[in-house]
Amino acid sequence: MAELANIKKDDDPMPVFPINRGYLKRKKFYNSIAVFFAVMAFVIGSFPVFHIIYEAVAVGYKYLNWKFVSTLPTGFPIGARGGILNAIVGDVYLIIIASILAVPMGIGTGLYLSLFGKKRTNSVLRLLNELMVGIPSVVWGIVGFYVFSTNAGLGFHFGFSALAGGLTLGFIMTPIITLLTEQAVNQIPASYIEGALAMGATKLQATKSVIIKAASGGIFTGILLGIMNIIGQTAPLLFTNYYNTGMPTGVTGPGGAVGDLAMLIFIYIHEPSKILHYKAEAASVVLLLFIFILDLGLRLINYLTKRFLL
Amino acid sequence: MAEQNDIKVEVKNLNFYYGNYHLLKNINLYFKKDSVCTLLGPSGCGKSTFLRTLNRMNDYTEGAKLTGEVLIDGKNIYNKSLDVVELRRNIGMVFQNPNPFPKSIFDNVAFGLKIHGIKNKEFITERVEKCLKYAGLYDEVKNKLHQSAFSLSGGQQQRLCIARAIATNPSILLMDEPTAYLDPVSTSIILDLITTFKKYYTIIVASHNIQQAGKISDYSGFFLDGELIEFDEAGNFFTRPKDKRTENFITSRY
Repeated sequence: MAELANIKKDDDPMPVFPINRGYLKRKKFYNSIAVFFAVMAFVIGSFPVFHIIYEAVAVGYKYLNWKFVSTLPTGFPIGARGGILNAIVGDVYLIIIASILAVPMGIGTGLYLSLFGKKRTNSVLRLLNELMVGIPSVVWGIVGFYVFSTNAGLGFHFGFSALAGGLTLGFIMTPIITLLTEQAVNQIPASYIEGALAMGATKLQATKSVIIKAASGGIFTGILLGIMNIIGQTAPLLFTNYYNTGMPTGVTGPGGAVGDLAMLIFIYIHEPSKILHYKAEAASVVLLLFIFILDLGLRLINYLTKRFLL
Repeated sequence: MAEQNDIKVEVKNLNFYYGNYHLLKNINLYFKKDSVCTLLGPSGCGKSTFLRTLNRMNDYTEGAKLTGEVLIDGKNIYNKSLDVVELRRNIGMVFQNPNPFPKSIFDNVAFGLKIHGIKNKEFITERVEKCLKYAGLYDEVKNKLHQSAFSLSGGQQQRLCIARAIATNPSILLMDEPTAYLDPVSTSIILDLITTFKKYYTIIVASHNIQQAGKISDYSGFFLDGELIEFDEAGNFFTRPKDKRTENFITSRY
């Protein structure tokens, strides 16, 4: 102990350790290799996206005009003339129906998981939710067919219709929103919630006035991801909605089926007709634009609600 | 002992467990009406936990267990029939970090009124103004009441939190190291506030700053490892501590 105390005198500076130049050089080299691989990974990963856009535009450019998105398909085989309005309108139908089911259910479950639930029930619910995310969409389609389309299941008997298809898509969307909502709420500083509770707010009041606002960005991302997921689904619609070349006359029963962009591409590509192939490519560009506009729109809604409503 | 009428909060045989960990060990003390009481002690000694037992904030901590009684105005707050919302309306709390809500300055103060169902706009406006004036913040923010609370500095945010806490007209104010993260100027403003506020509120402050505690307190207690080592009038506490451990702490030998 006495020796140790001697070393620690003020006039005795800390010994300078030798710097290993070679080691530092090697580490710098490794660093640049890591950067190189990261950039390469991004380039390779994003290549398909650019390729898809290029290919779709290059093949389908002839049809990318206002008429294409504003008229119904006609001619023989159906779609040889006219546009894809039926599919765009159908997508709007499906998104609205799916969101009416999935947004309240997803947000509700997410809030329950992060704020109200007990630890043990939460772990079970979380597992079920992850399971739901992992269920293949074709399975959802079969389930949707039995539950909503036929009268065998719960007796809904909606037929092949927008309602049956939209609800099935809604169930695909729900676990995604749940996941993102829970994450968003968990990222809010605990002091917000504590502050509200210490004021005598009930948990519901704290949720309504403080938590939803602080988490709204994450919740909107969840809704957006959910919509983007279902917009590209075809398998669940095969058994619940299929396709309509015209406008729907309702949301259930005969005439209740709607068109759908992903389904349109799937069907057109299967037809032995060059024109329909080109139109499918053009439709995929429209689908990309549709998602882009939706993204911007929802971000705007998020911004406006944050600014003026809450 | 003080006279029965003067006692606002009385704590009897309070034990608090977190899982298997015995956090608060048999605490017995009382807080007098309209006085400032500081609870001193090193970090992690249970001051904050003790404060949070007084307004039942520990209800939400999983694995927490509590025995003993906390009497406010003679009523046990751990009684099953007690309304927690009503209790918390009566007890304002200010936290260590300034934690304004992500709302405007006005809405932050109005929050407490709104959640208790007050809809009269004139009343709310008047009350918000008054609270901000009490907290010494009104002159600084009167032109930007509807801007985000995050545009304020740390010291201003903390005073906003105080204004928010007194908006529901509580009779007790709990402060959990309210000046820990503030600069000296903001700190002295808040200490002055505490001294003026003791006319209206029973104030209980947790602190580990001995100098500040000495300035403001009427009563002081010393916590160590979940035990209440000493509790006395501030004069005796700071000049003639009875316990060796208290003396060590006050003279900063910890």
